[in-house]
Amino acid sequence: MDTLSLAAPVTEVSVWALFWHAGWVVKLVMIGLLCASVWTWAIIVDKIITYTRMRASLNRFEQIFWSGQSLEDLYRTLSERKTTGMGAIFIAAMREWKKSFEKGAKSPLALQSRIDKAMDLALTREMENLEGRLGFLATIGSSAPFIGLFGTVVGIMTSFQAIAGSKSTNLAVVAPGIAEALLATAFGLLAAIPAVIAYNKLSSDASKLGVRMEGFSDEFSAILSRQIDEKVAHQRAA
Amino acid sequence: MKTGITTSVILHAAVLTFGLFTLSAPKPYEVGDVEALPVDIVPVQSITQVQEGDKKAPKKEKSAPKPTVRPDPVQDAQKVGDNNQDMKSPPTPEVKPKPVEKTAEPPPAPEPVVKPAEKPTEQPPKKAEAKPEPVAATERTPQPQPKQEVKPDPVQQAIIAENPDAEAMKLPETAPAPDARPQPPQAQTAKAPDRKVSDKPAVKEAARQKSEDKDFSLDKVAALLNKEKASGGGAKRSTDEAALGADHTTGGEKLSQSEMDALRSQLAGCWTIPAGVVDADQLKVTVEFSLSRDGHLEGSPRVVRSAGSRQADESALRAVNICNQRGFNLPSDKYQTWANVVVHFDPSDMF
Repeated sequence: MDTLSLAAPVTEVSVWALFWHAGWVVKLVMIGLLCASVWTWAIIVDKIITYTRMRASLNRFEQIFWSGQSLEDLYRTLSERKTTGMGAIFIAAMREWKKSFEKGAKSPLALQSRIDKAMDLALTREMENLEGRLGFLATIGSSAPFIGLFGTVVGIMTSFQAIAGSKSTNLAVVAPGIAEALLATAFGLLAAIPAVIAYNKLSSDASKLGVRMEGFSDEFSAILSRQIDEKVAHQRAA
Repeated sequence: MKTGITTSVILHAAVLTFGLFTLSAPKPYEVGDVEALPVDIVPVQSITQVQEGDKKAPKKEKSAPKPTVRPDPVQDAQKVGDNNQDMKSPPTPEVKPKPVEKTAEPPPAPEPVVKPAEKPTEQPPKKAEAKPEPVAATERTPQPQPKQEVKPDPVQQAIIAENPDAEAMKLPETAPAPDARPQPPQAQTAKAPDRKVSDKPAVKEAARQKSEDKDFSLDKVAALLNKEKASGGGAKRSTDEAALGADHTTGGEKLSQSEMDALRSQLAGCWTIPAGVVDADQLKVTVEFSLSRDGHLEGSPRVVRSAGSRQADESALRAVNICNQRGFNLPSDKYQTWANVVVHFDPSDMF
């Protein structure tokens, strides 16, 4: 913002005019914050879609799993397609189970621990998928106001320097510079508020889904453990 | 992720375009055309400084008191009136003399009439009686006074003859005052026992003596007496027709306080106190300068009393010169009062 434009104060004070008259630092900050806002909303939309799908798939899987269908059949049908959530955990455990029995496992205890590890791995992978990019929301939520404030401070600084140059303290001269500087803070808040709200909501959703999957993995582990015991007893009897 | 990004971009684009068209410049506040408040520096002198004149007379260009009767002027007189002495009492119409004459005439009038006739004959015995008194008291001067006593009477008579009007003046003046006053001092002095001894045979003589004593000092008293009429007012003569004004002129062509303040503030605004000088608040500079009628400097300002610091002196001169560029805003009708200005620059108030 140079002295001349201040001496003849901008009569138009729309958002666009304010943005256009701002200095390059303020412009950069505002553009950066706009990009952050776009990315934040992209993550929010993506996560909402992902979680909705995940919840639906968990419900469907639980329904199928507890319908009394044979685990072998379920494994056969699920292994043919790409699975997420509980399905992935189930397949990881079943794969380990199958491998061990096809090769004739000696120790049932080792088998149990291997299956648990495989399920843990699958669970971690799933959680990573769920919680990925949520950190970005947290970062934006906490830092965007500061970035916006930085833009405002720089804008007000330059505008005051310009006022000092124009040697007029008329409010009509002072106001546009300060308004455009405050626009940066507005952008920062605009990006930060949804990010914070979405982060809190999505992270709690993710942890809920995680708990559900963990519960399933524990339950499935118990079922498999019972199966192993039954098989061992059967082998000893035979 | 793609769906998220596209959704977000579309969302932002929509919001921004929507904002562009709807969030246009907010309506500017409608501020009514407020006219600037005109502030005049009103000189209070129009109230506090008034010209001498007549309070009841109609207003005229030039204030003038009620014209006086006597034409002879008295030097340095302040109050308007017909008296020879400048009295503070305002001239009042002479309505009172008549009632005063009625009450005052009887006692004084016979006495002066009797005295001139009796005095020449009765003087010798009185002298004999009076002589011991002066020895005891300090009154040696009374002795020649009998001769003088004769003089005032003819003079007064002559005056009375010449100015029949003066009778009215004379009577109230001489009669009441001397009669009352000389008596108490006589009673207090050591004369009293003498009188008792000598005056016993003739009470009339005592009365005469009193009157004699009066006559002794009468001249002196008369000389000391205020012969001015109480109603006569001051001694200043006025010939103009009466016009609205006050009892006397207060103040003259002076800058009123507000005008002086205005000048002061003008100079204070132009003055930059030298910064970074040791004891800056002690630097008092007195600058004198002459102004032309249009409020600009005539010649250059000069330091009358230096502060002892060249910086301070120059800052004061600079202040005058800076103010000169705008011109001093002073009432032109009082040019005489501010043709020469002496300004004391004292920074002690500013610290």
